[in-house]
Formats: sequence, C-alpha cells, structure tokens
Amino acid sequence: MFEVYDLSFMWSLSNITQTINSWLNQTFSPTWALIFEMVIVGICVISLFAILGLVLVLMERKVSAWMQIRLGPNRVGPKGMLQSFADTLKLLVKEGLTPNGADKFLFNLAPFIAMIVAMLLMAPIAFARDFKMWDMNIGVLYVTAVSSISVISILMAGWASNNKYSLMGAMRSGAQIVSYELSAGLAILSIVVLTGSLNLNDIIQSQANGWWIFKGHIPVLISFVIFIIAVTAETNRAPFDLAEAESELTAGFHTEYSGMKFALFFLAEYVNVFIVCAIGATLFLGGWMPFHIGNWQGFNHIMDYIPSSIWFFGKTFFLIFLIMWFRWTFPRLRIDQLLNLEWKYLLPISMFNIILVTAMAILGWHF
Amino acid sequence: MFIVKYIKEVWSAIKSLLIGMRRTGYYFTHHKEIITQQYPDNRDTLNLPERFKGEVVMPHDEKNEHRCTGCTACELACPNGTIKVITKFDISPEGKKKKAIDKLVYHLELCTMCNLCVIACPSDAIVMAQTFEHSVFDRSKLTKILNNPGSKIMDGVE
Amino acid sequence: MNGSTIIFYMLAVFTLATAFFAVVTRHIFRAAIFLLFSLIGIAGLYFWMQYEFIAAVQIVVYVGGITVLIIFSIFLTQQAGELLPTQNARGRLFAALAAFCGFALTLLQVYQYKFTNTNEPTVEPNVVNIGNQMLGTEEGGYALPFEVVSVLLLAALIGCIVIAMRPKATEKNIDLGTNNIEY
Repeated sequence: MFEVYDLSFMWSLSNITQTINSWLNQTFSPTWALIFEMVIVGICVISLFAILGLVLVLMERKVSAWMQIRLGPNRVGPKGMLQSFADTLKLLVKEGLTPNGADKFLFNLAPFIAMIVAMLLMAPIAFARDFKMWDMNIGVLYVTAVSSISVISILMAGWASNNKYSLMGAMRSGAQIVSYELSAGLAILSIVVLTGSLNLNDIIQSQANGWWIFKGHIPVLISFVIFIIAVTAETNRAPFDLAEAESELTAGFHTEYSGMKFALFFLAEYVNVFIVCAIGATLFLGGWMPFHIGNWQGFNHIMDYIPSSIWFFGKTFFLIFLIMWFRWTFPRLRIDQLLNLEWKYLLPISMFNIILVTAMAILGWHF
Repeated sequence: MFIVKYIKEVWSAIKSLLIGMRRTGYYFTHHKEIITQQYPDNRDTLNLPERFKGEVVMPHDEKNEHRCTGCTACELACPNGTIKVITKFDISPEGKKKKAIDKLVYHLELCTMCNLCVIACPSDAIVMAQTFEHSVFDRSKLTKILNNPGSKIMDGVE
Repeated sequence: MNGSTIIFYMLAVFTLATAFFAVVTRHIFRAAIFLLFSLIGIAGLYFWMQYEFIAAVQIVVYVGGITVLIIFSIFLTQQAGELLPTQNARGRLFAALAAFCGFALTLLQVYQYKFTNTNEPTVEPNVVNIGNQMLGTEEGGYALPFEVVSVLLLAALIGCIVIAMRPKATEKNIDLGTNNIEY
C-alpha cells in the first residue's frame, strides 16, 4: 500500500523540514537548533495567521454578498482582493481605547489570551503528510482541552469592559461554549472509538482506505453533523452568535474594544473557525489523505498526484465554506432555543449515537 | 408516541434548514440574480424598480393641464406637513365661481416619500417620480411648486 | 543548566507567582484569573514531564470546568466588582499559620517518602493503556473507584436538578399573582 503514496512525495513538505532540521543540527548545538526551529515555527504560525485573517475575511464577505444577492467588496484592488489589506491598515492605525472604568490589566490581556489559545491549537494539526508541529499521542484530547480555555478570554473581556452589554455577551457565550463542548466532544469521541487512538496522525492513517464519513455509515454521518453544529456554536458564529448579537448587545464582549485589540479578537475568531474545520477535516474527511475509491487503481493514482497539503486545505476550506453558508442562511437563535437544541436534541442524540458507534466498532461493521 | 414525534421533529427541522440552504446556495451560484446597482458607474443605464419613490410630481399634459382640483386631500393626508395647497377661485365663462389651485407647494426637505398623498388623491393628480439626485446647495431650492405656471385643470376632472 | 531546566524554572516561577497574586489581589475576578494561570502553569509542568494526558485532563477539568464555574459564580454575585475588604491582623496571622502548616505537612511528606527507582518497563501512555488501567478489574485497576466516583457525580447531578426544579405552583398562587399585576 505504501508505494502508492510515494508518488506524491515529490511535492512533499517533509523533505524541506528534514533538510532544515539536519542543517540546523549540523551547524549549531541541539539546544540552539531547537530554539531556531521554534523561532521558525513561530514565524510560520504568525504569518499563517495573518494570511488566514486576510483570506477568510475576504472570503466571508464575498460568500455573504453572493448569498444575499449582493456584489460584496469590489473596489480595492482587482475584484476587491485587497479589501482586507485596507481594513487591516485601518485597524492598525486606529487608536486602541481603554474605557475609564475598565479593569485595565485584564482588559488589555484578554485579546492576547484569545490569540495565544488559537496559536496553541495549531500545534497538533497535520497540514500535510509528515508536516506538523507536535506529534503528540493525545492530539484530539489536547485540542478539546485547549479550546476550552478560549471561553476564559471572552469572560475576561466581558468582565473587564465594565459594560453591561459586554458582561451579558460574555455570560451567554460562556453558557453556550460550556454546553456545546459536550456534544462536540462526544462527536469527536465517536471517531476516537472507531480508531482506538487519540493521535491525530493515527486517525489520518486509519483513513487510508477511505474517509470515516464514508466508512462509518450513518452513525458517523450523524456525528459529523453534530460536530459541525457544535463547533459553529463554539466559535460563536451565526446562527449561534448570541455572544455578540448586534441587535441586542451592540457587539457583546468586544463592545469596548477598538483598533488592534479588536482586530485580535476578530482574527482569533477566524483562526478558531479554521482550526475547528481543520480538526473536522482531519477526523471525518481524512486530513491530507487523498480521495480513493476502492480498487480503481488508475483513479487512485491520479488522486495521489495531488499534493497532500492541497487535500488538507481543500477539505478545510470546504468545511469553512459550509460554516459560512450556515451563517448567511439561518437567523439567530434565542437563548432558550439555543440551550434546548443542545440539551434536548444534540446531547441525547450524540449519546445514543456513540453507543451505536461503539457497537459498530466492536462488531467491525465498518469497512 | 413520544419518540416518533421527537424523530419527526428532528427530521422536519433538518429538512427546513436544507430548504433554506438550497435557496442561499442557488443565489451563491447564480450571479445573474445580483440586484446591487453600482450607482455612479451605471448612471446612464440605471434601471430603477417600478415602485421606487423619488419625489412627488404633478404630471401635466401637452396643453399644460393638470388633474388637481385643489381638494387638499393630500395636505390632510401628509403626516409631516410637506404639502401646502394654496387655492384660488376661477370664474368660469358662465360666471360661476370654481375652486382651483393657485400653487401646490411641496417641501421636499420634509418629505419622507411615504406615498400617502398619492394614495389620498381622488383624481390621481400627483404621482411619485423616480428622480433621486436631489442634493442642492441652497435649502430654499427644495421648496417646489408642483403646478406649472399658467397651467389649468384638465376638462372633465372634478 | 540546559534548556530543559530553564523551561522548568520558568514554569515554576510562573505557577508560583500567579498563585501568589491570586492570594494577595483584592479584585475577586482577578484572583480567579490568576488561579487559572497557576493551574495552566501546572499543566505546563505536566507537559514538561511529557505526561500529555494528565496535562490535558488538568486543563479540561480545572481550567475548562472548575475555573469557568468559579468565574460564573463571581459574575452572579452581587457587588463582585468591589474591592475585597482587608483582613485584620488576627485573621492574617491565622491564615499565615494555616498556610505554613499545610506547606510543612506537604514538605514533610515529600521528604519522608522514599522515591525508589523501579526496574519495571515504562508503560506508554496511549489510549489503550489508559483505558485498560482506568477500567481494569485486576490488580492495579481503577474500575471500582471509577464507578464510585461516577455514582457520586450522578448523585450530585440529580441533587442539582432537584434543587433547581421549581415546585409546581398551585392554581391559587397563580391567581393571586395575576391579580397583583393587574391592580
């Protein structure tokens, strides 16, 4: 099976990383080599963040416009491509205000927490074959654990702003994230049950002969749907954007933020969307695994020629598009509807579903 | 039974969500549906919707005749005093006095384009025009007299 | 001193400093946040020891669960934004004494315990091993404590529901209620 994959090694990013690693280790002592590697990874992550922010904001605006029969940004640069650059420039030169009654320390700390959490979440994600920052054996658990810190930044921002809208937004967001984490966790768990490993790399390898969404029949499809709904809620995006409901709470927890501090929250939201979609793509759609159909050797060979990073980003952006599609189609839920959806529908269904998945895994009913 | 109802509820919810997504998905892929007008660029080919309300005008025919009887129904209907009807009495050839308008004063700066005057008019003398580039440097230019100078009421309009 | 030691001391200083601030700050919300940072620092120490599973569980339970609960209860408390009152000398003395006794007890335990090197092979902390250990019924398995804790949590859950459940209002009460509004 392995020689089939070797075809795509000609575009492999792992060769580049290995060359850099061996060169650094030859030139410097191991400690310094590690430090240099950390610096390189840090620069890569920050530039990825910047690019993601620019691309996703533009994508969201274009998608939303086309779904609402509008044109969207089309003035700055060719077809409005440079619109998000212009917005970033504006946010950079804007004054970052701190309100008088605010708890200044926490107020200024909150956006950075949001950003740091988003950065930490990048660690276990495999962007391409053999191309990830940290191959840890509990990747999935790490992601669910660290993403639960992101609620703290929202609570902190809401409290420190000393503004009732901010506080209410933060409370709503807290209740929402804490409750939707459960069904997201159970949806993730169904894949863990099928794979028998928390390591994201093992999960990807287990999908070499077909992605879980195809292999796992209806129960995995159900958990995929639940996962998408729950992560949409966890990232505070419409139709679950009660935390920043414009019509009720002006802007929720970031009402008082302006300039670059606001931009950090904004960026963190988009990066979180990217991360949850990357996790979804890894768990259900096979990460960087190419699309294979059974014994069609010719077809599978052609699929192997597409670089693994393109597979990964393609799937991730497909899921991001799906979440944007939700956002611009559905109206916002009320708080009671939101909690009803979680506790009366998603949670019981996913609990029942996980029993089904477990039975399926034990009896070996998947392919 | 409870569980059947529950499943039916979930199923109908998913179905209705998918219907909504199909609609937005249709718009996403069909860019011909876009209704945005890129206004200053397409000023010459601007295509306004039929019911667009720009300002109140009084149409006159080629003999410089309008249909306004001066009944002041529009003035009464207007919620914010935009229209002021100044009437006079014409002497008909038979020597009878007849009420007619001297001036129909229209304050564009007060108008909210609510269309109530047009609805109230019993003789369809005023309509909404589609002009919308109203900005001027002098506020007094926004006070308009809708009837042309020397105009008369059309024959047969009472 | 190599890089690993430097990282250990950085984590240790971070944990202790935030723990200290959590105790001395007079803003109750800040205290909760500092406590959170201290707990994250401990998770960092677990990561440093390459006990990723324990670290992740530490974050899930303490950071994602308990601290969020603490913050919520602060939000729902009246006058949570006010400065906390300072303690009088007697209170401080007893607090210091209690802290010192706890610290001394822990230190005594640590120093009296004989840490022996084992020759047993290390168990790789992957999911299969953790699962077998956690729910194992043979020697060294934790099935019974696991179940007992589950029952305890279930009892707590049911208790919460019972407390939160509003007693059904009788029809008489409802009538009175509407009357009050109308008049």
